Amino acid sequence: MADRSYEAVVVGAGNGGLAAAAQLAAKGVKVLLLEQHNVPGGFATSFVRGRFEFEGAMHLIADMGPPENRGSVREFLEDDLGVHLQWFEIPEAYRLIQTDPAHAMNVKIHYGVDRFVNDIASAVPGSREAVARYVDLCLEVVDAITYLGESRGKPDRKVLMSRYGNLLKTAAYTVDDVEKRLNVPDRALEIFHALWTYLGCPTSRLNFTVFAAMMAKLIVYGGYIPRHRSHEFTSAVEARIRELGGTTEFNTRVEQILVDNGQVTGVVTSKGERIATRHVVSNASPTLVYNRLIQPRSAVPPVALQEANARVNGVAGFTVYLGLDASPQQLGLTEYSYLVYESGDSTRMYETMKTLGVPRAQASSCLNNCVPDCSPPGTSIVAITTLFRPDAWSQVRAEDYVATKNRIALGLIEDFEKATGAPLRQHIEEVEVATPLTYARYTGSHGGTIYGYEPESWDSLLPRMMALTAPRAVQGLEFCGGYAFRCHGYSSSFMSGQTAGLLTLQSLINERG
Amino acid sequence: MKISIRGFLLDMLAFQGLSKQRQKRIASASAEPMPVHPVNRLAQEIHPDRLRLIVHSVKDETRSSRTFRLVPDRASGFTALPPFRAGQYLSLKVAANGVRITRPFSISSAPYEALGPQGYYDLTIKRVADGFLTPYLWDNWKAGTAIESSAPTGFFYHEPLRDAHQIIGLAGGSGVTPFRSMAREIVHGSLDAELVLLYGSSAEDDILFYDELKALEREAEGRVRIVHVLSCEKVTLPGCEAGFITADLVRRYGDVDQGTLFVCGPQAMYDFSRGELATLNLPRRRVRWETFGEVKNIARHPAFPPQAVGTTHRIKVQVNGVSAEVPASATETVLVALERAGLEPPSQCRSGECGYCRALLLSGDIFVVPETDGRRAADCEFGYFHPCSSYPLSDLEVRVPQTP
Repeated sequence: MADRSYEAVVVGAGNGGLAAAAQLAAKGVKVLLLEQHNVPGGFATSFVRGRFEFEGAMHLIADMGPPENRGSVREFLEDDLGVHLQWFEIPEAYRLIQTDPAHAMNVKIHYGVDRFVNDIASAVPGSREAVARYVDLCLEVVDAITYLGESRGKPDRKVLMSRYGNLLKTAAYTVDDVEKRLNVPDRALEIFHALWTYLGCPTSRLNFTVFAAMMAKLIVYGGYIPRHRSHEFTSAVEARIRELGGTTEFNTRVEQILVDNGQVTGVVTSKGERIATRHVVSNASPTLVYNRLIQPRSAVPPVALQEANARVNGVAGFTVYLGLDASPQQLGLTEYSYLVYESGDSTRMYETMKTLGVPRAQASSCLNNCVPDCSPPGTSIVAITTLFRPDAWSQVRAEDYVATKNRIALGLIEDFEKATGAPLRQHIEEVEVATPLTYARYTGSHGGTIYGYEPESWDSLLPRMMALTAPRAVQGLEFCGGYAFRCHGYSSSFMSGQTAGLLTLQSLINERG
Repeated sequence: MKISIRGFLLDMLAFQGLSKQRQKRIASASAEPMPVHPVNRLAQEIHPDRLRLIVHSVKDETRSSRTFRLVPDRASGFTALPPFRAGQYLSLKVAANGVRITRPFSISSAPYEALGPQGYYDLTIKRVADGFLTPYLWDNWKAGTAIESSAPTGFFYHEPLRDAHQIIGLAGGSGVTPFRSMAREIVHGSLDAELVLLYGSSAEDDILFYDELKALEREAEGRVRIVHVLSCEKVTLPGCEAGFITADLVRRYGDVDQGTLFVCGPQAMYDFSRGELATLNLPRRRVRWETFGEVKNIARHPAFPPQAVGTTHRIKVQVNGVSAEVPASATETVLVALERAGLEPPSQCRSGECGYCRALLLSGDIFVVPETDGRRAADCEFGYFHPCSSYPLSDLEVRVPQTP
């Protein structure tokens, strides 16, 4: 006997789960959102140490845009959900600093089509036309994906071929494959694809569509962050779900997803409660769901397990959070976003994420340079983020854990200091280090993965979209979040919740007849 | 622009083959369940949701203090203790006199002593005669008693990324316990730091670990220095300072231009120390305060509204799937009111800091202790609060998540 019943249960209140629950609640569906932690957001959270509140994970949210140039995230949030927040536009795309003297680079790049092209063209003379063509190609890819989305999986082949041929012709290739054909000087490419770390996959394997879509959205709409860290964004959505009639419960882990005769019938929580539902939207990964959650085990179709096993869990996160008792001016930090890379060789830098050394690529930020009053006057917040393959941490022993994370953190701080000249170590008032273990601890993600499955071509946006139209392994089970079809990143994982919510709504409508 | 990567036909074939390629990859993958990743296992090992422990032995330290040695409860499947950092605490979960509450206690043993199959945690606890919990522990905790606790937690530890090599410890009463842990760890060689400890006691026979600290000092060869500061009138012990831990004493024994100060003790000592340390004009990063639990006598807090003293209110609460209405006094925290009513709300630090008790305030007014307001900015914006550092100023309606 079930204790309660809902039309839909959303497992996990990460970006995707929040969006799915909000979408369903907005459509009047009786929805329950269950979260194992005591705050919403998953990785999209914040925490307080002393007089600092640190951002957990967000560098920026894409596809937001200013009120006069609204991206789909802003449209969804404001028009569909009625969530209105103050958003801060990040002032520059990034400052890219390459530290290896043979590849030395120190350039500041802005979003906006013209500025992006101009910035790269001034850094690499003679590259303007080729860079502009590359940007156009990215824009075309996004237009084509938008068309695919609007055609609901049934595009007119003629339109597709005549207008969006470039999407089809590049869809099966890596960033490197496509870039070889663009005649862009190497130095300009290093700047152009510097944000490969946002996707956690080197350009030699990263699917071009996924990369081009991200770049186009960023170049057109810029990047945004909320005033009070991710926690404000996720709290606003959580509050809105309740206003819309949905139910949210924290400290409640879903231990089982019950399946009978190929159909979801309910969930069992860590409190031992059995909740009846025919629809589950999972923010937890297929890896977790098919390997651990579905009960009985015999209800897991072998092909679903094969699919989960075939896909490559992406990189895990590692972040050093610093609360400093000096202002950004005193530290000499002028930008919000710093990419400190050894070189322009993403494959080589990715290799350094496979061992427990100090990875040679970091994406760091000084929050005050976007939200000036994010910390008290005379202080600043710097976060240094890098990535690891989860397996790099497999052999760490519990008693060596602190020494290991501190050694890597120190190396990252030193790299940042060397690259920017900012004397961080003299000013550390608060420090916290999050490792793959930390991410695994709070979200249960496999190996501390923060980025979903690696977007190699065979498992990139288009094949994932095409798989969406196939029959479900388990009826009534949809996925959202970074592991879902849009691939990862804040906006993608959030918007995937909208899709999962709408797909669930469609099933509910079909069932109601 | 018309792009071509390998030629039109090959590019189109590659696109059309994407789905097949994906299906092929899937078909050739294993259908065996994937084991839990070692990183997830390690995360569980270091940060288990809860610990089940057994009192191994009890030792009297002074007439009012005891050390309880805790080991894993093997009968509950626990074989090893999670590692911790010297200075961290356990949040015990105890059913005392029929009421289930939590209490944080610093671990007084050293991190190295927790490792391995023989590992243990020591909690050294002072009996507070009119306290709610400690007399109960005295009467009931014996060798073999089973205990539930959080994993080690808290931020009061030496962090080499941040702190100076010299720890200048200011301890009052049983606030010495985290420093005992640090001293032992330093002598053992597993904490690369130096400790200068100013340890204040109100009577000679209240001093904890007197002989042991002396021995550690000898063994440490300069890395540990203990200075007893006695506020009683008659002092017979050699080498002690009389009075309280003043700025002057800190300057005399510690390297105040370099060292990091760590302060742990009762609330009265903090009030005194704040004034003293202010005269040293130290940057905040070099002074670290351990939380001390709930504010004693909130009515005397300068920001507390005087008209609220003596008033009582009703709290409508949804917790653990149960709706209840409980009485509450304005001078007791919301958390205490909920615990008294037997609702077992989540809590850990009881000092506003950790956020473990975070709950939703649906209606009503609360007083939040400004010094221990650890709420996230957006929590304030969206009505979330920390019951452990909040006092009801009117009838309240709250939603409390279940204890995980």
